[in-house]
This record gives sequence, C-alpha cells and structure tokens, in this order.
Amino acid sequence: MYFAGVDIGSTMTKVVLMDNSGNLLSAIKGPTGPEYRQLANEVMRQALEQASLQIDDISYIVATGYGRLNVPFADRQITELSCHARGVSSLFPNVRTAIDIGGQDAKCMKIDNGRLTSFVMNDKCAAGTGRFLEVTAATLGIRLEDMGDISLKATKKIQISNLCTIFAQQEVVALLSRGEKLENILAGLHDALASRIAALARRLGIKPDLVLTGGVAKNTGMVRAMKESLDCEIFVPEEPLLTGALGAAILAKETYMKAVAAGEALPTKSRRLEKATFFS
Amino acid sequence: MVVEKGKKTINRLKSMYPLRAKVNETYLKSVEAIQAGKPAVWGMLNFYYGDPILKAMDIEVVYPENYGAIAAATGVAQQYLDRADAEGFPTHLCGYSLTTLGYASRMMKELNGQIPPEAPFGGMPKPLFLMSSAAICDARYKWFQALGRYMDAPVWPLEAPIPGIKEFFIEGYYDRMVKLGVKHLRDFVAFVEGMVGKKMDWDKLDKTANLMIEVNRVWHEVNELRKARPCPMHSRDFWSAMPAALFLAGDLEDSLRLYQDMYKEVKDRVNNHAGTILEEKYRLVFAELPPWHSLAFFDKLAERGWNFVIESVGYHPPIPIDLSKVSDPLERITKFSLQFLVGYYEDARKQDVLGGTTAYPYLKYAREWKCDGALLHPLISCRSASTHLPYVSDMLMEKLKVPSLSIEGDIVDLRLFNPEDALAKAEPFEETMEHYRKMRKQAGDDW
Repeated sequence: MYFAGVDIGSTMTKVVLMDNSGNLLSAIKGPTGPEYRQLANEVMRQALEQASLQIDDISYIVATGYGRLNVPFADRQITELSCHARGVSSLFPNVRTAIDIGGQDAKCMKIDNGRLTSFVMNDKCAAGTGRFLEVTAATLGIRLEDMGDISLKATKKIQISNLCTIFAQQEVVALLSRGEKLENILAGLHDALASRIAALARRLGIKPDLVLTGGVAKNTGMVRAMKESLDCEIFVPEEPLLTGALGAAILAKETYMKAVAAGEALPTKSRRLEKATFFS
Repeated sequence: MVVEKGKKTINRLKSMYPLRAKVNETYLKSVEAIQAGKPAVWGMLNFYYGDPILKAMDIEVVYPENYGAIAAATGVAQQYLDRADAEGFPTHLCGYSLTTLGYASRMMKELNGQIPPEAPFGGMPKPLFLMSSAAICDARYKWFQALGRYMDAPVWPLEAPIPGIKEFFIEGYYDRMVKLGVKHLRDFVAFVEGMVGKKMDWDKLDKTANLMIEVNRVWHEVNELRKARPCPMHSRDFWSAMPAALFLAGDLEDSLRLYQDMYKEVKDRVNNHAGTILEEKYRLVFAELPPWHSLAFFDKLAERGWNFVIESVGYHPPIPIDLSKVSDPLERITKFSLQFLVGYYEDARKQDVLGGTTAYPYLKYAREWKCDGALLHPLISCRSASTHLPYVSDMLMEKLKVPSLSIEGDIVDLRLFNPEDALAKAEPFEETMEHYRKMRKQAGDDW
C-alpha cells in the first residue's frame, strides 16, 4: 500500500509518497507558479515517476496547504498546521515548538506528542514572511538563495526600521545609495524579520525542542538571526520545505490504516491526474 | 435540534426581531423630534449613567457608536471612512469615530446640516448637545469634541472612575465613588435643564430608573439561560437584542415586555433541549466587539458546529443588585451604573486575577457557560477593546485550559478584516479545542 501527501503552498507545491511501513519513496517540489493550484497533477506525476508507481497504486491521498481544496485526486483535505505538526514530529520526536516560515505566512505551532495544541499566525502583512525576503532580493538584484550566505559575511547589522515590505524596500535602496555594505544591510533585514517572528512565537510560550521549517529555513542568515532572537538552539530538517507534505502523507497512511483495522471502506476520489478547473 | 439541514444555520429567536426594531425606532424618533422642534442628543455608550436622565426629560438620544455599527452592517460606512480620511483624520483612529466624523463632515460641510440621503435608519439629526462618557472608551474627549465642532453644539463629558481591583477595596472607596457620581449627575441634570429650558420631573426619573434596572435584570436572566446545553441563543441574537437594554432604545415599558417574551422563548427552548444551531460541537465565548460588517462570518462558523454562547462583556447587563431601598434616583442610577463597572470585582479578587471590569468576566463566562474556546477579536483601531485580550487569553489557558483564537480586524473598516483567513484558522483551532477538552476531562472538569 502506498500513500501520498500533497502540499500546495503559495510559492511551492510539494508531494511526498510513502509505503505502509513509512518508508519515503519520493519527495518532489516544484514552483506553484502563476497557474497556482492547477499544477498539482504535474508535481504528482513527477513523484510517481520517481517512485516507479502509477496513480492507481496510491491507496489514500491527503492534500494540504492553501491550494488543498483544488487537488481533484485528493481523498481528504487537512490543514497545513496539522500536517506540519505531524511532519515535524516524525523527524524530531522531541519537538515542542515549530516555526514554519513560508512565502505567504509564518506559523508558530505548539506541539505535544505529534499533535497540534496551539498556534499563532502572522496577520495580513507580508512583513513576517518569505515574501519579504523575495521582494528584497529582487530589489537588490541578488538571488534569493544567496541572501543568507551573503549576510553571514556582515561586519555589523544595519537597523531596518520599517516593518512594511514596501517601505523596507525603499529603506534598503536608500541605505545602498548611502554606501552601506550589502551584507550588513542583509544582516539587518534578517534581524528585522527574525525579531518580528520571534515576537509572534513568544505569544505561544516557546518550549524546546524548537524546529524551523518552510522555505525561509533554507536561508542560513535567517536561521542565525532566529537563533539570536530566540536565544535557543534551533533544529532545521534536511529538507525544510517538505514537512507539510510529509505530515499529509503520514496522516493519509494513519487514516487509511485505521479504517482498514476497523473494517471500514474509505471513500476515495477518481485517480485521474487532471488539472483543477475553477469555472466548470 | 431545531434547525433542519438546508435551512438557515442559526435559528434566530422570534422574540429578537421586535427588540432589534427598537434601534430603527430610536433613529426615526430622533429625526421626528427635531422636525417637531423637540430636542435630540448624540450620546456615547455610558452604561446606564446619563441615559435615564435624558429619557426622563423626553430627549431622544442617538448613539454615534451604535450608528457606526449600523453604517458598517448596512454597507455605507466606507464612504464616511473615506471622507474622514480626506478630512485629515488618521486612519488608525477608532472606526466608530472615523465613520461618524465622516458622517458629520458630509452633513455639515456638504449638505448644510441636512441628513445625508444615503444615511441608514433615517440618519442622525443635528443634536442640541452631545453627551460623551468616560466609561470604558478612551476616545471620549477628542472624538466628541471633534463631533461637537462639526455640529456647533456643546459637549458634556460624563465622568466615571474605573479603579483597579486592589484600589477598589481601599476602605471607603466605593462610597466616595458613589458620592462623586451623584454630584456629577446633579450637575448634569442642571446642564440638561438649562439646555432644554425645563425642570426635571423627579417622579418620572424615579420610575425610569426602576424600569431600566428591571429591563436589565430580565435581560440578565435571559443570558443565564444560555448556560444550557445545547445553547438556545446565539451571540447574533444577543447583539441584535441588546440595544433596548444597553442604550435604553425605545419605550422602556415596551422593552420590558419584549425581554420577558424573549425569556419565555429561550426558556421554552431550554425545556425542549432545542439548540440555536444544527449541531453544537463547540461552545465559544466571543470577545469583544464583533466585525459588524461581516456578521455572516458567524453563520459560516455555525456550519462547522461553533455555537457562540456568551460574548462581549461590555454589552452585558450588570449582575443584578437590590437597589430598592435607595430612595434618591440619582444615587440608584449611580450605583446601578457602578455595578456594571465593579460588579465582578469581589469574585475577581477571590480568583486572584486582574481586570475586574473587562478581563475577569471572561473567566467566569468560560467556566459557567462551559466554553471549549474563545474567539478574540483585537481591533486595530480600538485600544479599549483590545489591550486586555492577551491577558484574557493567558488567564483562560492558565486557569481553565480553554484555548483562544485571535483574529485581528475592525468593527467598521471592512479592509482590516479577512474572513477567509479567519475561517482558514478555524479548522486547526478545532483540533486545539479537542486537545484541551481532553485535558480538562482528564483533570476532572465536567466539560
């Protein structure tokens, strides 16, 4: 038996396939892109190919993330908070606090034995999210993935006073024209973002172990800034983007196995890999 | 279950509708009063302090706060917000104040004192004077001063000291509060007499004060019935029915009869185990002021089995006290009004918590109405309804293991509230509520 977790985030779509022993068979991520939510079928096709499976081989599929309602072949939708909690716990059994910083939001989760017990999220503003870094990288003409390493070369941190993404951009441009070094500006930016997210996390009450996930966790500068802001050790999964999809796959397996044990038949969706359509 | 599938998610109380209609009646009466050469006043929510005096003097009162909510609920607030913005008022001011400042600007600068034709419920007419209040709202001075300038009308600020719990129990404190309150009300009566050119009818004030107290007693009893499981009355009915008790909207004798009718209807539901929503999966307390522009949001939550069984302490009547032996109506009014502010203090002191007026009551609510969670609505533009909410959240968790979900928004400004985002948080919050329900049961609690 095989199970799938599909996580459609605002920036990336992720798919994880596993067998009934919990062995990972494939893990694929691709940009969600402007065709947002319609490309789950493509990412799933790649994941199946990597695992040498057919879509009909998958016993149960759980979709999560912002686009979870638009995965036509998913049997069940579960919120990204629950999926992240489960995914992170499977990798770090002692996790009590998880912070996921994605393209669209930042989620701080309190976890107990793999269960989500409380959470807070940023509200309405891009300032506490990966988008803040994306926009800034574009403004500075550097690659997003290089931001962290550049910032680690900083000799000082320039304070960024604006929390608004748009105003922060203007401030960064003004600082550059004043002759401030790029690495120092980036260190300051990471600091500003980290202190905002740390304040959000403190509302929950931080307990170790603390795990950082989401695309922003790949940014070495951000990880350092978060460690400094929270003043505690931070664990980062090898592939921090996949915890939501991993959790979804685990929940798919658990849901299915529980039904089998109870002798129940679970309703499943058509296994055709089609694009989601919104107007039919 | 009283709601059939496919029907409205929240089964509204029939007895709510005539109480809700009291609001329309109040606005129309104020316009009619001005047309007939009689006085009308703009008042702030004052928690039973100034209202009975105006009522006994046959003065029609409309409430800019309430009107801000009406403008939001009827979809006309945005143009007033935009107008206030254009007048130069910062956008982070209170949503009610911005709405009514925009309204006042349109009325006085553009329409030469005429009521704007788009104004809902017939609009608010130009007042003889304005009555602001220190109870709860910290915008009281500047907002009403600014409105007074637009309207070229005097403003009387009603003062109400709100002590902390420890200060309140200093010997003689309560008596001094009462003395101060009565003196202040005497001055207010003199001011009103001067404005309308007639003397107070003290017998009428006596009767008005008693009716106000009785109306609120019955309204309190209605809300006590909501402790039943399933809860027979949703917060949406509460908010619709409250103005007749909170603002003394409409004729008080009629309101008393209508609240008694409501008591019977709610009691009947309790006796028949009839809930207000299809399936009560979660019982919630709501704090503080709702997003008036998006009340349908609560219907979506009701579809998920969320029943709002208690809410907004600032809108709830005081815990009843016997004031029948207080002969001076001004003292009776003062003590009744103070009861709203300090009625929970003794209890709060025993529980060793802070925030007797606005924070502690939520602990009592969650415990006695057996809530699974709290939905907190911090307002970007209102300090008074927001600053205590983190404490409320911590207190509920620490004392009762009841979790909170915080959704930022605004009472009037639709742009500051994102119902889709809020609904996206609902599902994981259910998991949180389930978790703490198990924890409470393990700890021996009965809900």
